[in-house]
Amino acid sequence: MIEMVQQSSGNETNSKLPFSFILFSMVALISSQVLILLNGDMLITGTFRLPAIWSAAHLFVLGWALMVAMGAMYQLVPVAFLATIWSEKFGFWQFAVTALGIVTFATALYLRPQDALIPGMITLTGILMFLVQMFMTLRSQAKPNILTLFVGSALFSLLLTITLGITLVISMKTGFASEYYQAFFKTHILLGTVGWFSLLIFGFSYKMVPMFSLAHGFTMKPAVYVYIFYLTGVILMVASFFTGTHLLEILGTFMLLAGFLTFTWHVKKMIDKRVKRKLDRPFMFALFAISCGAVIHLTAFIASGLSLLSKTAGPILFLYLIAWIAFSIIGYLYKIVPFLWWTHKYSKEIGKKQVPALKDMMDEKLAIPLFILFTVGTVLIILSFFVQLMPIFYIAQCLILLAVILFSYVIAKVLTI
Amino acid sequence: MMTDLQNKIRENLKTVYDPELNINVVDLGLIYDIDIPEPRTAKILMTLTTPGCPLHDSIVSGIKYCVQGMEEIEHADVQLTWEPAWTPDRMTADGKKLLQGF
Repeated sequence: MIEMVQQSSGNETNSKLPFSFILFSMVALISSQVLILLNGDMLITGTFRLPAIWSAAHLFVLGWALMVAMGAMYQLVPVAFLATIWSEKFGFWQFAVTALGIVTFATALYLRPQDALIPGMITLTGILMFLVQMFMTLRSQAKPNILTLFVGSALFSLLLTITLGITLVISMKTGFASEYYQAFFKTHILLGTVGWFSLLIFGFSYKMVPMFSLAHGFTMKPAVYVYIFYLTGVILMVASFFTGTHLLEILGTFMLLAGFLTFTWHVKKMIDKRVKRKLDRPFMFALFAISCGAVIHLTAFIASGLSLLSKTAGPILFLYLIAWIAFSIIGYLYKIVPFLWWTHKYSKEIGKKQVPALKDMMDEKLAIPLFILFTVGTVLIILSFFVQLMPIFYIAQCLILLAVILFSYVIAKVLTI
Repeated sequence: MMTDLQNKIRENLKTVYDPELNINVVDLGLIYDIDIPEPRTAKILMTLTTPGCPLHDSIVSGIKYCVQGMEEIEHADVQLTWEPAWTPDRMTADGKKLLQGF
């Protein structure tokens, strides 16, 4: 007789919540890439700060990467930290407010940037709701650990990033603190990328790398050094923005490089201790993103040493967003989406009948062409920045757009299994 | 010594797979003990490869459903423990072969 009482720790999230975020994010991703394709002529002449590019950048960073990160955190935080989501109902409201905020914000940036304040405030409210949700959830964690520190610091960086973002809009509208506009702007970008995304990816990689490789018996000690080095780098960089001291910038890029290399080396040590011999392709792509990140940090440090960072900041930031942050997210999303759908569809069937394995749920054949498209597209975009040739840019951006559409198709296909 | 029923439960548990690794829970070495404290009741002591495994609830309830689906068992009590922690040495030869290819 089967008794319908599930002995559960109750940590699993209602799959509809993370899926809402992920589906929204894929639409935002495609839109952002179309916008970049249509405004490429401005971009390759080095004009990054244009309404259309602002709109595309925020659609990409907030609409895609942030929404994916939020959706994934709704699923991963409860299981990785053994803490139940504080309120799922609040989570759905948080999704609705944030989605509305991002759509109106990106539209305002495109059409009338000076009217971006109210949509910006809605986005801010949505993100603050997320921070409240995560704060209440992580508070219930029985034993905080180094992962809590990484994820907590990432969330704090996110809070600072959006506060600075709103300050920028107010400053532009009213002239408030206009002498610090440049420093605020740079800090906003730094905390949004290096602070929020990188610390978050570090934190979750420490959970996912051993899980996907079944690594066992490795040390977690280097994680503390990764944290200290990287955070010191962030603080030095912010100090350099406000004081304009070149030496602080060199030291800052050096500490960020030291932190990132320590992380890379630590991940390598974990992989060396793996039980699972053959790693799957999406996970390898996430590891490839780490190598890209290491090269980008080295480039930033060399550029700073040669006093070229202000000139090369655009392409370096672009590469940081694509080859480190986006590639990491894409690699992990390839693993997370089948898991979400599997949990939604089969977690009540396991033990009663045969259920598919996770690797059967995602089209792995498409993984290699997809990853090649993303990589070649990104390399060509960077090339087009340097040689300033429009045809190369259009070919590159078309490849990326194709990759993004293919990726969305692969994700959508999981939901049919 | 395992009784016939304990062995049968163990064999049945080989149909419950870790969906990420695609290896059954027995060959993965997750099952620490199978006990029959009273007739028609089974008590399973198990672990997972790591605390905070996202498949935590699914695997635990999968094991419960599997055992309770057997004719001889009416109630299954599945207990999760982290002591002693799982190590790769707990895998069976078949499990090692699947993961490591030798």
